[in-house]
Amino acid sequence: MENQTIILVISAFLGFASGIIMHRSDFCIAGMFRDLFLFRSSPLLRSLVLLIAFSMLLFEIARLVGILNYSLPSSLYGLPSLTNLLGGILFGIGMVLAGGCVVGTLYKLGAGNLPAACAFLGLLVGSALYAEFHPHWKQLTLATRLGDAATLPQLLQLPPTLLICVLLLGTGGLLYRWQVKGLLLRPNRVKGYLQPRTAALLLAVIGLVSFSLLGMPLGITTSYTKIGAFFEQRLIPEHVASLDYFQGHGFEFFLPISNQTLHAGAGPFWDGLALIQFPLTLGIVVGSALSAISMGKFSCRFDIPRCQLFSALFGGIIMGLGARMTPACNVWHLLGGLPILSLQSLLFTLGLLPGAWIGSLVLTCYVLKQ
Amino acid sequence: MVKQPGELIEIDVCGQICPSSLLTALREVNNHKELLRSGQLQLYILTDNHDSTNRICDAIGNMGYHVEVKDKNSYYEIVIAKIAAQKRDSRS
Repeated sequence: MENQTIILVISAFLGFASGIIMHRSDFCIAGMFRDLFLFRSSPLLRSLVLLIAFSMLLFEIARLVGILNYSLPSSLYGLPSLTNLLGGILFGIGMVLAGGCVVGTLYKLGAGNLPAACAFLGLLVGSALYAEFHPHWKQLTLATRLGDAATLPQLLQLPPTLLICVLLLGTGGLLYRWQVKGLLLRPNRVKGYLQPRTAALLLAVIGLVSFSLLGMPLGITTSYTKIGAFFEQRLIPEHVASLDYFQGHGFEFFLPISNQTLHAGAGPFWDGLALIQFPLTLGIVVGSALSAISMGKFSCRFDIPRCQLFSALFGGIIMGLGARMTPACNVWHLLGGLPILSLQSLLFTLGLLPGAWIGSLVLTCYVLKQ
Repeated sequence: MVKQPGELIEIDVCGQICPSSLLTALREVNNHKELLRSGQLQLYILTDNHDSTNRICDAIGNMGYHVEVKDKNSYYEIVIAKIAAQKRDSRS
């Protein structure tokens, strides 16, 4: 693989910047969906709509001018199946119980949050557990496949640019109304706070840089599986060797910066995915930690109610499983797949809603009961 | 976790899972609404989550209370009191 150092530096920088941005704006995607059901009001969700719409605009312009080259279905976003929806539901439940999604967990961990550390551990366990039943789940995915179209434009047999223009007109109108009414702006009560709408615009640019230079949008859950697999390899190497999921290299992607096609997998080995996702993951934690330290808000508290720690761990496991079953995580689907209208991502997002609702019910009934 | 020095209740939810701080603040305000409304009591919520400062201030402010955020270095102190009640001097 060529240009490994450059790839590593770019990826670490993107993670580092994302960590600072998400920490400063408290860009908690799990919270956005949870609050929709828990409080019937989710002011931050509007920033997520802005992030998706702006990414859609950037990705499409980049594709039209030739900066971004992708063709679906591919390893990035395949053909839709009912398992995308089921995985989304499970992921939604998990992220609410864990108190943060896959990246929310990382930026909270960077700020010294103990439940986030439990959720991180759970994510590793859940991601690795999936390998135990991957062949059965793969069969279910094939059996419940929903047609041969990978994207909405393919399904509707419309030019992607036309559909994206129509969608952007509708979303743009909505965002304009929110902006005029001041609904995109959050009160600025805290020193060092970054407005979520600014964070949304910056994260969309980071997504574009990642997609155009590294060949894939932001995503980190395969690195969780790999870390889990590395641990398992140390403990039970024979078992790891017997699992198809850990031995495959079925993920194929084109890496523009080194102009080559790579094959990668979820197993305990160093490959193109590890090269991109490990520094990104670490970068988010380090960026967030530095942001928290510079704000004077880095603190580790250990007197957390045990049921909350258990909820975070359990939520992390479910989220890890959901992320593998869908496959991929909320960042991959919401910030990468939705802007290019992947049907897999649309199904995942559809699943997130009932999942977050169920998660909110469990959270308030059992974990944070009054 | 909860101390009661006279007319002040301090609740520390630092490091807890979201949305514990908002739910706790809402519960405590409801539990003590008579004393809070009459100005005999002030609630201090300690949190290290900066979005919670917005959510708590919005929700409790809409219920007709005075809400104020103070930055105490490693955490934020959210003061909930009767509107126009004289603000208690900082304890720090």
